[in-house]
Amino acid sequence: MARSKAASKKQQKQQQKRGVDFKKIKRKLGRKLPPPKNATNTEVKSKAIVLPEQSVASEKAGLAVSKKGLTLKELLQQTSHHNSKVRRDALMGLKDLFQKYPAELRSHRYAVIEKLRERIGDDDKVVRETLYQLLKTVVFPGCKEDNQGPFVSLMVAYIFNAMTHLAVDVRLMAFKFFDLVVQYYPPSFSLYADKVLQNYEDILRKNQFYLEDKAKLRSALAGLVRCLSLLPCNKRKVDSSEENMAGQKILHAFELDMPAESSGFSSITKKLKDLVPVLVNCFQDFFPSVHHMPLLDAQSFDCMHSILQSIDLVVGFFGYGIHQGKPASQLSYEGPDEAIWDHTISSLLLKKLFGVFPLNPTNHLSEKVDDRFFILNIVITEIFLRCSEWICPPGFLLEKFLQYIENALLGSVRPAVTHGPVKQFGRNIYFFCCLLFQSLCCKWQVIGSLVFFSNCGANHNNGILQAFTKIFEGCNPQSSLKLACLSAIEEMLIPGDDMVYPDASDPLFEYQITWIRALPQLLILLGDKHPSSSQVVLHLLLRLGQCANSSSPFSREYENMQYSLDKFYSSCVDRGDVYYGPFIRLSWDSQELAICGLYYFSNLGPFLLKSIAFCCLCSELEHLVLFRIIEVLHSAFSAGHIQIADYISFFMTLLSRFKVLPENIYPDVESDAKISNRGTFKLLTNTVCSCLSRIGDDSLVFQILEQVIFDQLLLKPPLDNACALLRVLVVLDCKPTRLSEQGIITLSKYLSGCLNVGSCEPSCIPEDDEENSLPTHQQTCCYYMLPCFFLFDRSPKLLKLVLNLMGSLITESSSSPSSHSYTQYGNDNSNQINAVVSALLLMHKDTKVRKIISSFKEEVVHILQIIHSLQVKFLVTGNPENGLAVITYTYDLSGRSQVTSFSLSG
Amino acid sequence: MELLIASSSVADAGIGCWDLESGAEQLRYKSCASPPHGLACVGQRFLASSQLREQPSASSGSILYWSWSKPQVEVKSLPAEPIKPIAANSHGTYIAGGGQSGDIYMWEVASGRLLKKWHAHYRAVTCLVFSQDGSFLISGSEDGCVRIWSLLTVFEECESQRASHLYLHSFTGHTLRITDIVIGYGGVSATIVSASEDRTCKVWSLLKGRLLRNIVFPSVIDAIALDPAEHVFYAGSRDGSIYIAALNAESPSTSSYGMHIIGSLSDHSKAVTCLAYSTGDLLISGSEDGMVRVWDPITHNIVRMFRLAKGPVNNILVVRRPLYLNLGSFSNPHTSSRRHGSQLPPPLDKYVTSADEDVDNKGVIRLPSLYNAPRDASYISHRTIDNHLKELQQQGSSAATEMEVERLKHECNRTLQMVQQWKKMYENLHEFCVNELLDGDQVDGSKRNAV
Repeated sequence: MARSKAASKKQQKQQQKRGVDFKKIKRKLGRKLPPPKNATNTEVKSKAIVLPEQSVASEKAGLAVSKKGLTLKELLQQTSHHNSKVRRDALMGLKDLFQKYPAELRSHRYAVIEKLRERIGDDDKVVRETLYQLLKTVVFPGCKEDNQGPFVSLMVAYIFNAMTHLAVDVRLMAFKFFDLVVQYYPPSFSLYADKVLQNYEDILRKNQFYLEDKAKLRSALAGLVRCLSLLPCNKRKVDSSEENMAGQKILHAFELDMPAESSGFSSITKKLKDLVPVLVNCFQDFFPSVHHMPLLDAQSFDCMHSILQSIDLVVGFFGYGIHQGKPASQLSYEGPDEAIWDHTISSLLLKKLFGVFPLNPTNHLSEKVDDRFFILNIVITEIFLRCSEWICPPGFLLEKFLQYIENALLGSVRPAVTHGPVKQFGRNIYFFCCLLFQSLCCKWQVIGSLVFFSNCGANHNNGILQAFTKIFEGCNPQSSLKLACLSAIEEMLIPGDDMVYPDASDPLFEYQITWIRALPQLLILLGDKHPSSSQVVLHLLLRLGQCANSSSPFSREYENMQYSLDKFYSSCVDRGDVYYGPFIRLSWDSQELAICGLYYFSNLGPFLLKSIAFCCLCSELEHLVLFRIIEVLHSAFSAGHIQIADYISFFMTLLSRFKVLPENIYPDVESDAKISNRGTFKLLTNTVCSCLSRIGDDSLVFQILEQVIFDQLLLKPPLDNACALLRVLVVLDCKPTRLSEQGIITLSKYLSGCLNVGSCEPSCIPEDDEENSLPTHQQTCCYYMLPCFFLFDRSPKLLKLVLNLMGSLITESSSSPSSHSYTQYGNDNSNQINAVVSALLLMHKDTKVRKIISSFKEEVVHILQIIHSLQVKFLVTGNPENGLAVITYTYDLSGRSQVTSFSLSG
Repeated sequence: MELLIASSSVADAGIGCWDLESGAEQLRYKSCASPPHGLACVGQRFLASSQLREQPSASSGSILYWSWSKPQVEVKSLPAEPIKPIAANSHGTYIAGGGQSGDIYMWEVASGRLLKKWHAHYRAVTCLVFSQDGSFLISGSEDGCVRIWSLLTVFEECESQRASHLYLHSFTGHTLRITDIVIGYGGVSATIVSASEDRTCKVWSLLKGRLLRNIVFPSVIDAIALDPAEHVFYAGSRDGSIYIAALNAESPSTSSYGMHIIGSLSDHSKAVTCLAYSTGDLLISGSEDGMVRVWDPITHNIVRMFRLAKGPVNNILVVRRPLYLNLGSFSNPHTSSRRHGSQLPPPLDKYVTSADEDVDNKGVIRLPSLYNAPRDASYISHRTIDNHLKELQQQGSSAATEMEVERLKHECNRTLQMVQQWKKMYENLHEFCVNELLDGDQVDGSKRNAV
């Protein structure tokens, strides 16, 4: 029982264990029955298989994935995988992902960088390199516009960690990373300058590492140069960068970068002091390789170059501190400390750097090597020139350097100036000259060294300046060398802050004059093909003009420049044939500079004005530039820089010679209306009128102008120009008129002719009062008639004379048929009558003129009588065809004239 | 209670003076032909103006003073060279003048002494402005340069010798003549706006010393005025309209005039030559046609017009009416002038006199309090204050206190003696009275007894 109980218990247990569904009833103990043949194996075997890709495949539908189908999260996880290949692939995948989905980077950048920074100190070289590429090409450019401060601070801690890594490779790479950070976020250098410089110092001390791996060292040193170039060493550079910042943004915006940029440099002076000897030693370590190897290979050259550049920048920074009035070291340390430092550094430089100058290749193998040595020497020279402000170099050293500079400028050290790094050469020339000039002309507080410098170098200065002038004159106008020379010249021409002009006895003065004289020629040579170079020259000219006041020795040179500048605007080759200079085709900015330069001629003569006037008359010139020229000339005139006669004749030339296109007042075709510059001319007339009325005493100006305008009118200029001239008269005139007796007579002759002989476009005017005519026509007509009306209003005598002359003209033309053939005569005569009548009608329509004209009833009636008699005459004697034409005309006219006379009498 | 003062380059126009509220014309000060920026109100005490030369050959210009109450010129000074722009600081302590050669002159008003003269620009100075607190002087020149001078640096000898240049900042952004400069509030961090003939106005930061904004206008700007809240500034142009340019907000670039220009005020008159902004929220413009227009800057309407002259209006000032200046003194200037007498400071010196030469010449300025008549602010020589000092020192010294104690002791003794004397007298009197009384009684008693 118990057994069965136990068995049953067991059974129960088994039953319990087994699922209810698959209940197996054991019928017999002992041997098992073989399973039936058709039995199905109901056992289910299972194994856990993790298939992450497949399992979340459905969720990935909306997510950004890389080429391999991995999401950002997965990729980031894989970056810390123990297998270096997986890590590299993950980084590649990230790069791929971000390039495809830039938004992903922007939204997750902190998470991304927190993961990526762990890889900065990665042991595997390939992974680091991949990370560098990823950061450089994708991450930093993608996060550029954001607030980068916290972003960078996340990384920097790891970079510094890597900088103290045991493996040299990792350390050198860390410098490269830092370089990248600085590249994209410059303030980071000043924030972490202390640590970075310390790290640089450490790595450069352990020179046994890097001599094998120069490529790495090269990149690290390049990073150092970049960091140091952020030090404020050149005030001009700081200014120019700020000028660019004057943007379109909000005026009083909160500026995040400002405190970081301005502070921080003061505390690193000590670090820099420590760095200089290390750099110098490092440079010396390269010496054996220079002297023993026949070829100076590119890598060691780059290293040496970077080292020298770094020294140069540091020295420049110290110099900058001194310039500011307080030595850089005093910002953090007291005076005595500074003296010691000065002494140690200068003696170090003197012994180890300047002592070995100039570096010479052991044997002249190739030009390339020569070039390299040349560049190194140039940088050493630069350092020397920077230092010479505050250390006293011994005489022989100075001699050596000046000799070298002179030779370099003359090209005797380097035989081929034409190829090789010309840009570098140009930059160095610029620095030479800046520094030289500063040393020569400015009053340093360290007077002692200056006196020494100039005493010792007097015989060389001349040579250097001569060599420079030779280079300036010799080089191609388009080349960058010329540009460098120009900026050097600007430095040497424009007096500095203390506004001390060089003495005429100074040897420099002679060269300055030579340079100034070369400028206009250069401008013309440059033409319109090199707008940027032209702009530099024009800017230099403007600056020169601004400081060339009467007390300046350059004022005469600047004055004389107008005789050579005319070709820049335009020149008259033959009579009437004008050759336009490059001015017309330059960009708006350059034109503006050129125009502004005109203001500063203290006596702008007729010679240059003439050539400018030709320019203004050119149809290619933008009308905005034309008005700008007038504006500036007006300013110059009111400042007393232009004689009144020249000024007035300039305007008269403009008004009388301006070619109005098209000649026809009423453009028939739409395209004509487009190219028409009539509107411009109207504006020009207004501008000229306002300028003339601003001269001052109107009556005096009127007296001057009267005869000039009559002379011009008698030349029978086109209607537009004549109208403009009359407008000028009217603006300056007053009521009663200022016209002289003689003037009235001349004017009446002209006006009657003008009204009659078709200058007033009689073919068009008669249509005016017809219903179908456009109102614009009427306006145009009024525009031309208005000055005449004003003159009539002011001088009734003029009107009387004009009316008389009109009458007599009709009779004359009708009574002298001999001059015309008979058929022409009829047309001609009727045209004339037509013109007279329409002119009368126009006058009649204007209410004000009607009042005046009503007092000259006799004259009008006289004209009408003549016309009437002619009508009769034609009816009697005319040949049938013409007669018919005249009859219709006269019929029309008589109808009109009756109206006229009727209203006149009434 | 503001006065509008305007002058012209035409000599016979004089200086016009109007009450801005009522529009009533006040006294017209005679014979003034001022250049642009050549009129200044010195500490609300009097008017000063530099003069255009009648003939270009005349070697020297002049600076004239008018007191409020008299139309005639009262003081005439002849500086060493023609001065065009002048400026006075808000207290009226100094007058600065800009010369044709690019020099800036600095005079002390009370003594007329030329304190300092320095070479500031390559070319003629065209405008001068003091900052609100009077610590900076801003000058603009014909060569397009704007320079900021800290008066502290200018006057401190060692400071000026140590620095390589005297100025604080030099802005060379303009290519042509500077026509006007204004400076906002905010002391050292103020905003400066300069206008030039190169058709631009530039906004500079005094603190950072750099360009903040460049605004290109359709025409040359001859005058600018700053809105008190510094949201906008008004630029009067040669085409006759007054443009409104934004200083703060980033304006939409779709404006029809150009970037940052919000709108314009215009009545199609001639060129605008000068602008001023009154505290009563009115914009005042002077035009080339000789009219002074008062605008409401909100509605863009003209509120008032004054006629000054035939020639162009060159300067406009808005000054608080000095309290002592009642209308009565305007209506009968003769009596008031007699009453006031000559109250203006002496003319300005021609040359710098070295400080050692005459120490006595130093003036002492008492800040003009608002309620005091100007005669209180008259010139007091250096000696006066020396005396004051001496007195103060004597009173303060220990010897003086001892003397005082002695004196007091002496006085005490004397008073005590006096008291004794009085007591004695009283006693005598008392004795006498008692005696008299007793005697009287005795007489009475004897009389009665006799009866």
